[in-house]
Amino acid sequence: MTKIENPSREHILDRIREALRAPAPPVDMTPVPLEEIFEPVADPLGRFLAECQTNLMEAVVTANTAESAERLAGLLTALPEGEIFLQDAPAIREIAKPLEGKRSLRWSTEGAPSESCQATVTLAEAFVAQSGSVLSSSSCGGRGASVVPPTHIVYGGVSQIVPDVTAALRLVNEKGLPEQSSYVGLISGSSRTADIEKILVQGAHGPRRLVVILQRG
Amino acid sequence: MSTAAREFHRKAAEKAPDLVHRQVIQRNMVSYDIAVDKAKGRFRDWQAGRRRAQQIKWEAINNLDKLLEQFEAKILERGGHVFWAADAQEACKYVVDLARRRGVKTVVKSKSMVTEEILLSPALEKEGMQVWETDLGEWIVQLRHEPPYHIVTPAMHLSRQDISRLFREKVDPTIDTDDPQKLVAVARRFLRRAFFVAEMGISGANFLVADAGMVAISTNEGNARLTTSVPPLHVVVTGIEKVIPRLENLGLFWPLLATSGTGQPIITYSTLIGGPRKAGEVDGPEEFHVVLVDNGRSRLLADPEQREILHCIRCGACLNACPVYRNIGGHTYGTIYPGPIGSVLTPNLAGIEEFHHLPFASSLCGACREVCPVRIDLPLHLLQNRRKVAESGIPGLAEMAGFKVWSWAMMSPQRYNFFGALSRMGMRMVKALGLSGSLLDPMRPWTKYRAALPAPRQSFRELWRKQRVVEKPE
Repeated sequence: MTKIENPSREHILDRIREALRAPAPPVDMTPVPLEEIFEPVADPLGRFLAECQTNLMEAVVTANTAESAERLAGLLTALPEGEIFLQDAPAIREIAKPLEGKRSLRWSTEGAPSESCQATVTLAEAFVAQSGSVLSSSSCGGRGASVVPPTHIVYGGVSQIVPDVTAALRLVNEKGLPEQSSYVGLISGSSRTADIEKILVQGAHGPRRLVVILQRG
Repeated sequence: MSTAAREFHRKAAEKAPDLVHRQVIQRNMVSYDIAVDKAKGRFRDWQAGRRRAQQIKWEAINNLDKLLEQFEAKILERGGHVFWAADAQEACKYVVDLARRRGVKTVVKSKSMVTEEILLSPALEKEGMQVWETDLGEWIVQLRHEPPYHIVTPAMHLSRQDISRLFREKVDPTIDTDDPQKLVAVARRFLRRAFFVAEMGISGANFLVADAGMVAISTNEGNARLTTSVPPLHVVVTGIEKVIPRLENLGLFWPLLATSGTGQPIITYSTLIGGPRKAGEVDGPEEFHVVLVDNGRSRLLADPEQREILHCIRCGACLNACPVYRNIGGHTYGTIYPGPIGSVLTPNLAGIEEFHHLPFASSLCGACREVCPVRIDLPLHLLQNRRKVAESGIPGLAEMAGFKVWSWAMMSPQRYNFFGALSRMGMRMVKALGLSGSLLDPMRPWTKYRAALPAPRQSFRELWRKQRVVEKPE
């Protein structure tokens, strides 16, 4: 790795240190507990499903692997012809079995999703009740899997729901994701824009649909 | 008066009475206000959230050297690069040299106000590179060859008919719709090609997370996700003040930024990037660079009284709340950062000589302070900038002498009465002669656009003396 020239680094740091020698007027540092700012989440699954609706996501709760596989097949067969990109993980291999031979499948171990793929299927690091979000990382099929296709399907367990964003970020630290994964993302719905007259339009640059299949047990 | 000040006055006089402009901005602001109220309702205590945010940013800015070094060490460990740029020129040169070395022909950019500040796109274009803004609003103003109107909503000043016409002229002559859904589809198709041919992606950063050594970037469209995932080279260009100490702080800052920025509970893609693609990862850029831009920020840091201006998270709430911004519009300011935050920041970053008028582009109503999610005392900093202007001697001898006379007159009741009576008489005479608003009217700056003020026959003192009923103590 070539080391880059950094002629101003020391100069800038010196200026900062010099500047900070004069103390800023203090602010009130009375601790503010998080529970004071946000209402603690009482019913994580109920809240997650409600927030998914707010975020214009689709969420289905299934009882077991067979039902998840059936749901996935239903979703994918309704899509137009074309490649489906899947994260190469045992859990996804399991629920994608019924699709073999029926749709053209490309696994994450064979490279990144192509620009023309119809959908991607990935796992998640966690789900966040407070904001109806999917916590994703590079390990969940890579960076492009959650933003390149028109439809992104996320498969996970009800037990993966954490109450709030702070809990999700604690989990990121506990799992060592900053070191293990070059990308970590909290995804809260389909790609959208309101840049034209503040009118909400889905499917700006990324997926028009974000679907979560949540399995109990 | 500086050139910037003259331009400002000219454009403000043009925009303020423009009813079409007012209607477009009004429509935007009404939807914004409704959304923000709703999003604030998701907090148990919004004020507690603001207090906590202020504490975190205070801690970050007052430990800036340590936190930046902590952030840098992590990025370097992962094989990323960190470049420290003292000014705009140094930052641009680094990115342009890098692009040239890698043979870059097309660059995709996700929204970044710092790149606007350092004029990065023109620098790359000068080298013959094609640069595409990928945020829809930014792309629209790029096609119009104009700067962003607003730091969060760059095309706020345009109606869908304006945008439809623009796309027909610049993108596809067959476009015959002003349906936002279809216009977005036009942008999507066009920019998709750009994403997949670009050799370099440039993004900004909403936060630099010191303990995790990660860059936090928020976009709703997912354009920053594509910018940072598809091209083989990712460059982050950001200000040194964007640091927060801990990853967990985003548990507050993500909802806070979304609430104040657009009235959403959280921005759709709230993303963290810590380095280039790691071995075994499916995709991602091979190279990752962070350019930390000073460009006047350490000078502002050295002023303890104004240091908190660097707490700003660029949510744009103070622009939306500002009655001056709502009337004169974003382009009138002629600065990268408009509105209240721009008026406190610009004279400090770009020089008070050129931007001496901005601290006065405010009624000091305090709406900006009330909405600021990190509780920056914006009116205080506007006043401090006014003091800097006065001390610099920029207002000129005539104004200085005027205030000398004013304070002399104020110091004695007799003088005050005398001059008061004189000016009331003068005002009545001007009105009686039908000269209101004419060049002979000393009140012309006011009466040029407004009805003349009714001049009272008697002063408050005289009324008080005549009408006061002395209440006897019981």
